[in-house]
Amino acid sequence: MRYLLGRLGFYLLAGWAALTLNFFLPRLMPGDPATALFARFRGRLGPEAVQALREAFGLTDAPLWSQYLTSLGHVARGDLGISVAYFPAPVSQVIGNGLPWTLFLAGTAVVVSFTLGTLLGVAAAWWRGGWVDTLLPPILAFLGAFPYFWLAMVMLYVLGFQWGLFPLGHAYGDDLTPGWSLAFLADVWRHAALPMGSIVLATVGGWMLGMRNTMISVLGSDYVALARAKGLAPSRVVLRYAARNALLPSVTGFGMAIGFVLGGSLLTEIVFSYPGQGYLLVQAVRNQDYPLMQGIFLVITLAVLAANWLVDLVHVWLDPRTREVAP
Amino acid sequence: MTDAAPPVLSVRELSVAYVAEEGLVRAVDRVSFEVARGEVLGIAGESGCGKSTVAQALLRILPPPAVITGGQVLFEGQDLLLLDEPALRAVRWRRLSMVFQSAMDALNPVLTVGDQLQDTLRAHGVGGAQARARCEELMALVGLPADRLGSWPHQLSGGMRQRIGIALALALEPALVVLDEPTTALDVVVEGEILRQLLALRRSFGFSIIFITHDLTRMLQVCDRVAIFYAGRVVEVAPAAELRAGPRHPYTQGLLAAFPSVHGADGELASIPGSPPSPRSPPPGCRFHPRCAQAVERCRAEEPPLVALGGRHQAACHLVG
Amino acid sequence: MSAAAPRAGGVAAWWEAVRRDRKASLGAGLLAFFLLLGLVGPWLAGPADALVGVPLQPPSAAHWLGTTGQGQDVLAQAVAGTRVSLLIGFGVGAAVVLVGALMGVTAGYFGGRVDGLLSLVFNVFLVLPGLPLAIVIAAYLPAGPATVALVLVITGWAWNARVLRAQTLMLRQRDFIAAAVVSGESHLRIITRELLPNMTSLLVAQLIGSTVHAIGAQVGLEFLGLGDVSAVTWGTNLYWATNDSALLTGAWWTFVPTGLCVALVGFALAMLNSAFDELGNPRLRLERAWRTWLLGHRHPPARSTPVVVTRD
Repeated sequence: MRYLLGRLGFYLLAGWAALTLNFFLPRLMPGDPATALFARFRGRLGPEAVQALREAFGLTDAPLWSQYLTSLGHVARGDLGISVAYFPAPVSQVIGNGLPWTLFLAGTAVVVSFTLGTLLGVAAAWWRGGWVDTLLPPILAFLGAFPYFWLAMVMLYVLGFQWGLFPLGHAYGDDLTPGWSLAFLADVWRHAALPMGSIVLATVGGWMLGMRNTMISVLGSDYVALARAKGLAPSRVVLRYAARNALLPSVTGFGMAIGFVLGGSLLTEIVFSYPGQGYLLVQAVRNQDYPLMQGIFLVITLAVLAANWLVDLVHVWLDPRTREVAP
Repeated sequence: MTDAAPPVLSVRELSVAYVAEEGLVRAVDRVSFEVARGEVLGIAGESGCGKSTVAQALLRILPPPAVITGGQVLFEGQDLLLLDEPALRAVRWRRLSMVFQSAMDALNPVLTVGDQLQDTLRAHGVGGAQARARCEELMALVGLPADRLGSWPHQLSGGMRQRIGIALALALEPALVVLDEPTTALDVVVEGEILRQLLALRRSFGFSIIFITHDLTRMLQVCDRVAIFYAGRVVEVAPAAELRAGPRHPYTQGLLAAFPSVHGADGELASIPGSPPSPRSPPPGCRFHPRCAQAVERCRAEEPPLVALGGRHQAACHLVG
Repeated sequence: MSAAAPRAGGVAAWWEAVRRDRKASLGAGLLAFFLLLGLVGPWLAGPADALVGVPLQPPSAAHWLGTTGQGQDVLAQAVAGTRVSLLIGFGVGAAVVLVGALMGVTAGYFGGRVDGLLSLVFNVFLVLPGLPLAIVIAAYLPAGPATVALVLVITGWAWNARVLRAQTLMLRQRDFIAAAVVSGESHLRIITRELLPNMTSLLVAQLIGSTVHAIGAQVGLEFLGLGDVSAVTWGTNLYWATNDSALLTGAWWTFVPTGLCVALVGFALAMLNSAFDELGNPRLRLERAWRTWLLGHRHPPARSTPVVVTRD
């Protein structure tokens, strides 16, 4: 418990660091959202309007610390400012519409990839020298070297445009109304298959190789030698003794990788015009929509921190040693 | 000598090597010894002499890059080196078990002690309530409270972990238990307690023991017979009392002179200059000759065989042949 | 790896590992090809920006890889992109390792409060999602390679720092470091002469890993339009390909060559890294030697210690 609370404290600190970064970045850098908006409307706004906008963005003449506190207060209330690209919609609303899609796409992809990669790693270590061990790693390493979004483009081009096996984009068909109907859910999965597939293909090799190498180390350990000496069945030795222990570093790596994979999945969304954060991010970049960009950064950071804490929970469940009071 | 009963274990000309990039490195070279029923055989030598390698080679659990390159391990009438995987699994633990050097490393850190005991029992057909009862019985045997079955290895002290290791080894009442430096990591008091307990258990169950250690003093207290290893070879075998009274091999003499002054130190010995040869390039002739004060010309050229010196005393030295 | 590995032997050992390992030789060969391409390619493939023909023509004798949506030669663009992308990739990789080493070694070596503070900083950076942070920073700066390089360094150093801190903590326990401290050598000297040389293999691995990451992230940022879209790099090539609706028009040749270049460089570096990993991981290396030896003696590797009677 102490361990989990400590981690929670750390994530709170990291969240605060992200907020602070978010506050100071626009103030340190050239350019600000109001000026960007002003440029976008090409002189249709007067100076008074720009001033009003600046205030709406929190860029007042008040002292910095008071601006800082105001901004923290706004974030605490869920107020992330006003979007430029979707003016005058509030950023929180714009992000809120896309968030479930991103969490669904990236979350499922990362879990599938981790599970598949870990199982393949165990299989490779089990049948050392078999085809899983010799053939797959270089192939997956090669696939992993491609940018996620490029794999997505190729898959979309071949499987979508050329062969027509999958829809060409978006999260669901235009002819369906969102709801918990079977037809709608099936359509969502059909639309998610390609983007998810490309993310899994790009990331599964890393998990596999990591697990395989840890397995080989663990298979040389004393407790595996003892398990063998005890006359346990090979499957039990490999799964219950070797794999359970080899999983621990992988799980730690999983927490680290979430942020990274999420970044890649944002770019994948763009290829598929998937209505998540990635798509919004492009709109934000093209329209110099700083509040939206920062909102996305903040929300994604919070999602990554939350996911990391979940991973910590799993780690505690898997490793009894973390349950003790650690110094 | 009780020649009537065949020995439980008879190791003949066993060789073990490690594969390295430049070729084979011989860790154990044509080693032979026997263990009689109910006997405690000690194997002693400096670290790196191959004694722990022998222990794991008997059970054939040496991890890569080890390879057994020859010999026989006759255990209860069958050669373990000829067995396939299923046949080996039947012998392992049911007839032949082992206590590892470091209980911390040998226990699975993510399973409770009880689970690891039960795994062992279940693998050999003892399940359910019977297995649970046996677990509690075993804990009592090694002097631990039954509620410790729910503990994870990291929650136990070094002594407790090693007792669990012994409980594991005795779980199926094997004919032979190999103890690979089981008390090296423990303090002297705990070490003494555990060894006393083990000997008491042996008296009640009648299993044989191979006791591997670098601590010759301890060994002479505990064992019936002792084999001295040097650089992957057996250099002297004798009943403990005889060895204490009259060691014949110069290396054994040096070992005895060094102990008990430096109890537990595992390294260079005070009375023997130099250090053991690298197994990558053992010296020609007697492997001990570079460190031997009494070495003569023949020692440099010709490897001495292990010869009987009367009774059950054997040594491999040109000077005593 | 052994802590006291001689420095001079390091380079030779790596070269030996590359030469002997098929994967590593492949990686080194590919990498050399792309370095050469980056160096002399633009002279061979012609100007990348020139409008040389009808837009969106498929590969032909005149334009081996076809033309872009603007009518530029795809081959010339892929080749021209190599130089900038590799330059930024390796530059950022080196900078990231440098910053990581500075932070990580300082934290691990001095310990105490310095360690607490620095560890906190890089652990926080480690959980902040890199790409969104990079985008937010890059969006405020003038678009261009320098901006891309800067944000990649800012978002990339934390992992290296963490690993190097752990390695420093481990080395600090060793006798030769303790001896150096006792003998009164200066901190700077101990770090540069005793600590860092003993981390060479780790630093090289990190350089390779960081470079792979930097190339990928750079391509990603530029694909989003955060680079200088008028420059010719691998990332902007892909940006323009999507901008010109490569998928809709079926112009696969506008994005496939560039993506292959990125992947081949990444693959080459990954192969090298896996070979070096084996060099630094004795268990993997010996296990492999063991398997090869057993197969050479017609004995399938088994779970129980194999018995192979040799007659030598």
